[in-house]
Amino acid sequence: MTSSGARSRLQVSRRDLLVGAGAAVGAGAVTAATASALAAQTATNAITAVGEATEPFFGEHQAGVQTPHQAHGVFTAYMLNDSANLDTVRGVMRVATIEASRLCAGEPGMSDTDPTIATVPARLTVTFGFGLGLFDRIGMADKKPAGFAPQPAYVIDELRPEFSGGDLLIHIGSDDPLALAHASRHMSRVVSSIAVPHYAQSGFIRANGVAPHSETPRNLMGQKDGTENPRTEDGFAEQVWAGAETGWFAGGTQLVIRRIAMKLDTWDKLGQGDKEAAIGRRLASGAPLTGDGEFDVPDFAARNSAGLTVIPDFAHIRRAHIDDPQFRFLRRPLNYDDGINPDGTPNSGLIFAAYTTNITERYVPVQQRLADLDLLNVWTVPIGSSEFVIPPGVEAGGYIGQQLFDS
Amino acid sequence: MISKLLAAGAAAVALVATLTGCSTASDDHASHDLSSTLTITDVWVKAIPDLAEGDMTGVFMTVENTGTEDVYLTGGTDTTGITETPLEAHEVVANDAGEMVMQLADGGILVPAGGSVQLMPGGYHIMYWDVTKPIAVGDTITLTLNVSDGTTLDLSAIAMTIEGGVEKYVPNGEGEMSH
Repeated sequence: MTSSGARSRLQVSRRDLLVGAGAAVGAGAVTAATASALAAQTATNAITAVGEATEPFFGEHQAGVQTPHQAHGVFTAYMLNDSANLDTVRGVMRVATIEASRLCAGEPGMSDTDPTIATVPARLTVTFGFGLGLFDRIGMADKKPAGFAPQPAYVIDELRPEFSGGDLLIHIGSDDPLALAHASRHMSRVVSSIAVPHYAQSGFIRANGVAPHSETPRNLMGQKDGTENPRTEDGFAEQVWAGAETGWFAGGTQLVIRRIAMKLDTWDKLGQGDKEAAIGRRLASGAPLTGDGEFDVPDFAARNSAGLTVIPDFAHIRRAHIDDPQFRFLRRPLNYDDGINPDGTPNSGLIFAAYTTNITERYVPVQQRLADLDLLNVWTVPIGSSEFVIPPGVEAGGYIGQQLFDS
Repeated sequence: MISKLLAAGAAAVALVATLTGCSTASDDHASHDLSSTLTITDVWVKAIPDLAEGDMTGVFMTVENTGTEDVYLTGGTDTTGITETPLEAHEVVANDAGEMVMQLADGGILVPAGGSVQLMPGGYHIMYWDVTKPIAVGDTITLTLNVSDGTTLDLSAIAMTIEGGVEKYVPNGEGEMSH
């Protein structure tokens, strides 16, 4: 998958140069002022190119998973109301697919009440997910993909119902917070006949243009988060996308969303060495304590002169590490920074989002190891948890969920 | 800005409007083929999943006239089998009290030569009365649209939810009923 942002930037820049050159020739002289104006114009259009960039909605997979991470995102979970059944859910997904695909293309929805906001998508993606309750409600409990089941309770959990569960998920991402807010509001209207909002978890990474899309994003603890993510088509096929043998689910994935509150006030009291020991990586480079570069393979056996393991037993990467790449998963988390708690501490943390072919077999074992021992648990508290199936993508004319509903 | 929006709508990927291959001329002296000059896209209807909440609804769309003569949308006929009442072309205007009210569009809804018009909640729409079956979100209904000059266009409209665009209806300027 490519970022269309880079493409549109190039096109706009080239057009600017041509227009600028024409104006200069017409004036009969290239002056410093003209050059300066040209530079300013090019800069302006480089900025608007961020807004004009689009990500394809239709395809084998839903967008918003393998898509280069946008600056802003919101996971909105809904609870189905009494009128939701197979027929009404199918009807709403027909309409929701049309409206989402238009918004992602920078066109207002057909029933859009604020069409003027919809023309700057900034790589908008709209991704739909189905919770456990939706399968039950539409009479397709037996069609849940293998491994899609409630997670066990972990000892570290302090889950709050307002950040947990959900029957239907709409995950929206964009490099522009206004485009995201508009799409979020419109999509909530589109599904309002069958579902009521349960939670909306908004978060962010760096702004578009601040860092390369290929750079591993940092969380609010300063750590690079997602170093071991799949970065190739093969990697995604192996770790994220369900294979052809899974029937209607082929091309889909399973998503775990966990809201992780960070105790940044106490974390901030640690020195750099302690912070790096807790994670097992250098903060600046992201390199394992046994290596020089972010992508160096950690040497968990290495010992220092005192005979202690260089990467401590309690370090996050030792506990989270999975030797077999097939049992890894995609991390696509968002940071949240929502002011302060009543006691004055920062209300900050991570909206952890993990995409895997099988939650029970591939995600739960890792989460269980982290719950059992991970020094980071001292400064992090899981306060929300949800699971969703992300159904496969569709081509134009189809609608999300069709493969399931017709199965 | 409006024209830009309309252009964007006309170029939409998800077309649910289906024009018939050719228009049906009701008389022999129709001198031009309107189906080649009117492009209709993004046709949708306000869902009414529960008839207890009302048995009327509106159809919305974007209509572009690439021809050289003004035409009017004058009304239509339901072909879904959900009402026998003729469909009406409506407009929404401010009355003397400043309230927005909907009423029959006198002479129909103008689609200017070389221009376009958007039918939308709170504005122009094709009005359904006396609907006998619920229209669920995602359902598709079909209708025949009447154009001035006697041509007709077959359309299909997908049902969507709206919460806005509620006006009073003023039949012949007498009395009022809510939409």
